[in-house]
Amino acid sequence: MPDWKQIVRKHLRVVAFCSPEVIEELATHLEDSYEALLGEGLPAELALQRAMGQSEGCGRVWLVMRLLQEEFMSGVMGEVALPGLCTSAAAGILYWALALTHAQPGVIWLVGGQLPLWWWCLLPVCGALGALLSRRKGGSRAQRIAASLLPSAIMGIVVLLFFAAGYTLSGLVNHYGPVFEHLESMGIGPPGFVVIPAVFSLLGTGIAEVSTGESGRLA
Amino acid sequence: MASVNAQIKRGSAELAVLKLLNEHPLHGYEIAKRIEALTGGVLWFDMASLYPMLHRLERKSWVKAEWQTLPNGRRRRCYRLTASGRKQIGPLCAQWRAFFQALESVTGFQNA
Repeated sequence: MPDWKQIVRKHLRVVAFCSPEVIEELATHLEDSYEALLGEGLPAELALQRAMGQSEGCGRVWLVMRLLQEEFMSGVMGEVALPGLCTSAAAGILYWALALTHAQPGVIWLVGGQLPLWWWCLLPVCGALGALLSRRKGGSRAQRIAASLLPSAIMGIVVLLFFAAGYTLSGLVNHYGPVFEHLESMGIGPPGFVVIPAVFSLLGTGIAEVSTGESGRLA
Repeated sequence: MASVNAQIKRGSAELAVLKLLNEHPLHGYEIAKRIEALTGGVLWFDMASLYPMLHRLERKSWVKAEWQTLPNGRRRRCYRLTASGRKQIGPLCAQWRAFFQALESVTGFQNA
């Protein structure tokens, strides 16, 4: 009897990134096909060839594409990206709502910039929202955390781009100072808009995990 | 035998699987074989179309998969319909009925 799991791993190397259950399930399908073909009276060699044909050629390409689409893209979109974008939108709306209402103390002065104290305090709500939305879509623990941290990740990329632009400008323009100082005065810095929000968002994720009884489960 | 366009097949496949699982739990290979037999080979699934769809249904919580050990010691991943999946059958049937009625009114294919 052929080792069907080994055949699946060999023919469909990409499925190694999928869960072991996917490999086993595909292996059982091939095994069932093989046995059905044997039952139809086909010689063992031909039955093996026909069964394996499902994981070869165009079939293999389609299977890999569809599995990757389902296992990764659907998961990433539904369980991380969309909840994460909702979390980012909620965090952005909260930030501008606080800025417009002039909530006091709106900012604290730290590392040369204004950092939004009230906004931080509300970020656990956004973090919890991201985790809960991801959970509703069936996201694993890692995906729930990723969804709630997406706003910080986006801000991290923005900050990196600003710093990269700053350093580039410093090489091209002699008087780049005002640009850089303006960014500092806006409080755009790694601590205020990336690291600390990430901590507060994680706090919200933790609260959501405990409140939904997910804290003890494996991802 | 008329072949079925891939898009139509994809759209109708979910309903076919849900209807089949409404009777009793089945594993992937059985689902493929039963649908092929019931439709006289018009609808058939290969691994590339079957398992991604089953996983999608599972992600939607319309079906639930569980590993079962058969009397011969082999393990099979059996899919059973959930309450949420059962609720989908009615609306999906209605959608397909409306679709075919609309198509019939344009093409008159029943009288063709």
